[in-house]
Amino acid sequence: MIRRPGLELPRPSRRGLLTGGLALGASLGASLTLPGCAYIRDDVPIDKPLPPSAKAEIDGDLVYFNWADYLAPSVVKGFQREYGVKVIESNYDSMEGMYAKLAAGNQYDIVFPIAKWVVKLRQEGKLRSIDPAELENADQVFYSGSYFNDPWYDPGSKVSVPFTVYKTGIGWRTDKVSTMTNSWKDLWNDEARGRIFTLDDQDEALAMAALLLDYDVNTAKRSELDDIKDLLISQKEYLRAYSSDDVNNMTSGDAWIHHMWSGDFLYLREGLVDDPTKFDFQAPSEGVPINSDAYAIPTNARHPGTAMVFIDYLLRPENAVKNMNYLYYPFPVKDALPAFADLAKDVPACNVEISDLENENVFRLLGTDEVQRRAAVWTEVKAS
Amino acid sequence: MARARKLERKPVFAVAVTAVFFAWLYLPILAVALFSFNDKKSLSSFGGFSVRWYDDLFHNDALLDSLAASLKIATAATLGSLVLGTMLALGLERVTSRRGRVIGAVTLLPLVTPEIVTGVAALLLFTGIGLKLSMTTVILAEITFSIAYVTVIVRGRLAGIAGEVEEAARDLGCTPFQAVRLVTLPTLVPALIGAGLLVFALVFDDFVLAFFTTGVDPQPLPVRVYSSIRFGVSPAINAIGTLMLVASALLIIAALWVPRLFHRGSSSLDLITGGDRR
Amino acid sequence: MTETATRPRSAQRTSLWGWLLALPTAWMVAFFVSSMVIIVLLSFGRTTNDGYPAFATSTANYRAIWNEVYLELFLRSLAYAVATVVISALIAYPVAYVIALHGGRYKNALIAAIVVPFFASYLVRMYAWKALLSDDGLVNSALRHSGLSDGITFLNTPQAVIGGLVYGFVVFMILPIYASLERLDTSVIEAGKDLYHGPVRTFFSVTLPATRAGLYGGALLVFLPALGDFVSAQLLGGASTYMMGNLVQQQFAEGQNWPLGSALTVGMMAALTVLMVVYLRATSTRAQES
Repeated sequence: MIRRPGLELPRPSRRGLLTGGLALGASLGASLTLPGCAYIRDDVPIDKPLPPSAKAEIDGDLVYFNWADYLAPSVVKGFQREYGVKVIESNYDSMEGMYAKLAAGNQYDIVFPIAKWVVKLRQEGKLRSIDPAELENADQVFYSGSYFNDPWYDPGSKVSVPFTVYKTGIGWRTDKVSTMTNSWKDLWNDEARGRIFTLDDQDEALAMAALLLDYDVNTAKRSELDDIKDLLISQKEYLRAYSSDDVNNMTSGDAWIHHMWSGDFLYLREGLVDDPTKFDFQAPSEGVPINSDAYAIPTNARHPGTAMVFIDYLLRPENAVKNMNYLYYPFPVKDALPAFADLAKDVPACNVEISDLENENVFRLLGTDEVQRRAAVWTEVKAS
Repeated sequence: MARARKLERKPVFAVAVTAVFFAWLYLPILAVALFSFNDKKSLSSFGGFSVRWYDDLFHNDALLDSLAASLKIATAATLGSLVLGTMLALGLERVTSRRGRVIGAVTLLPLVTPEIVTGVAALLLFTGIGLKLSMTTVILAEITFSIAYVTVIVRGRLAGIAGEVEEAARDLGCTPFQAVRLVTLPTLVPALIGAGLLVFALVFDDFVLAFFTTGVDPQPLPVRVYSSIRFGVSPAINAIGTLMLVASALLIIAALWVPRLFHRGSSSLDLITGGDRR
Repeated sequence: MTETATRPRSAQRTSLWGWLLALPTAWMVAFFVSSMVIIVLLSFGRTTNDGYPAFATSTANYRAIWNEVYLELFLRSLAYAVATVVISALIAYPVAYVIALHGGRYKNALIAAIVVPFFASYLVRMYAWKALLSDDGLVNSALRHSGLSDGITFLNTPQAVIGGLVYGFVVFMILPIYASLERLDTSVIEAGKDLYHGPVRTFFSVTLPATRAGLYGGALLVFLPALGDFVSAQLLGGASTYMMGNLVQQQFAEGQNWPLGSALTVGMMAALTVLMVVYLRATSTRAQES
């Protein structure tokens, strides 16, 4: 037999196993002491003190951490040119992923957490405070009487500046489906069976089911979670896939009905397709989740000053307008809002009133075991 | 033993399957290349010829940073795994004890481990030591995974080199070290070049390992592509994709062809399949 | 020549090479082996209240996996991986056969033409399939244009996932089979043809057994990565095509439950090891029989 190194694995002999076993044991010993260090931890105290705000002055390049493609490139370029700094971009594809990287000690200058993650990061002392007095354009979002002076996720608005707000609804093909009822039940629509998509997002999917069952979108009660699980599993025979690539699924013809974010739909209809009349959006009557993202500066940021300047730059109305024209999401920058109203005039369902943020359908921060219970349900739904 | 001669009758069925296979293999590649020149921002219909996506790409700093990161990682990983893999190959080939065989098996483990497991393992290890995820951690992980490829290829070449030549050199007065340096290594050069190019292409294109071990530094290109894919891809991805395809293709072709320059008559695939030993 | 060394030459050589082995082995132990050990240890761990994984001595994670949904998931992944191996073999044999035995001087170019795309941007090619096979994509448009069909739903099906897996890994079946076909003495096949009077009979009675080693090696090299893959199911999969790889990845990404993810990984590796040992025993006894 011709010997061919690579495809031939030696048969384990007794001596070999013994040697291997000893080696493994030695590694075990070594592993317990050295590389395992960071896994020996206790629970941390909550409500750590807040590091002070940085001044708004350039102190280096900006290490930027955000969803992919979530700011108009022209705005980022403008910032680089005007202040002569580089923007080094990393992307996350989930809030959990962002959090994990922060928890692992990576240093970013600016991050864009979703509302409930602002709460979590603040509690753990991972954010430094942002003093609006440092920002020239602060009055664009923190004007007298503004909701954002004291948002639910950041009392006193200490650590965040609002970025954008959005709601989740259902987008559909008007030329393929004619039996929509303005309800979340439409995601079980028979006409579009096999061409329905649900967002590949734990909070969004569980919330959708919760709203149908008239439960709180943040519920972690076992009995309610069981009902949600059964409901979502019952959807699977109608469902084509779980996917957050909503825009492409709609344009490729794969989706006739899609669980969708309002900004994505607006972008699809107004900025992408040839024939907008083929698409429509609804915000179901049972209630829709309202969410918002915010700018935040991590405590361990190396260049918090540049981050402050960046936030200020983005709060300039002309830049907010550029971002809105790129993303089709509303930015609560006072002087830029009329531009958004114009953008959304054909699809009023996509409009998000700032007052919507005061309603109950916001994703709140939950305790670890509550989150894991919800995660277990989501995993079982996806796996079954 | 006689070399494989052309057989009498052509097996029609097998040829048909082969033709379909090649078409299937190249269809997405051609599609990516074609649509990278698409004037419309669509992936299903062709609007007209345009290089706007390439223009976008070359002005997209984030993507260019990722490209630079990928190149750096691939280079470092190639060098590291070449050194370690060759040492391993030389050692394994000459150490015939059972311990040597066990080590040989252990070093092959990464080849048969699903990449997700290696990725998770690397992530846990780095986090456990407290090593911050960065380009360095990606490089370390990639080296570990690539050593196996280098070892397999170099061992394949070594097996064909008779140990007697080295013995002869030693008889003529060389120390073992000199024998390796002056006799064995030069013979290995084609295999090293081939292995190096192969590993470079593999690491450049690797996604799973990089996904788990990437940190603050600009993400390698495949990780960036993956992030975009999950939420909607802009056609600029087609432009990157085409460039990556072309670059990897050139690298692999070089990897298969360069050894032939040194060794007339050998199959270019000896690199991977272990050499002609008839 | 006088023996200048105090130890025989061969022992000297072995100790030099032994030292040469030391550094890379140390590397492998440091990174690979110890990281595997950490996975096992963390599988008994828990998550602190700030979402960080920590060592503990809890079997909660293993109890969590021992439920019918996860077991079904494992069986599904197994089924997909086996299907991938079978389909890959069905493709690889004709292709390797044609190139090895009828390729003539184009042999090397043909093999290179297969190998090159496989090492070039897996993700981009998979995404291209997603665009090509979508309901309004090129393939369906062509089908409708030519009147062959009204449009086929390719994507988001188990077939799409398996197709993606085959697309990604078939090269690892083609190369070993090609290599063993190349080494084959074709006079054996000729003799077989005379004996068995038919190409199919000849194949099964002569060619297949003679290239057994390539087939077994290829099967292993395709099965293992296919089982742990998550990209294919994520890009091309549907609502019920979740694989083991997706499950593990989810725990480290969205799910943020590293201990559970570790337990799943351990479970997967344990199952794989058992399968592999059984497989190697079975195939090596077969090889010895021939």
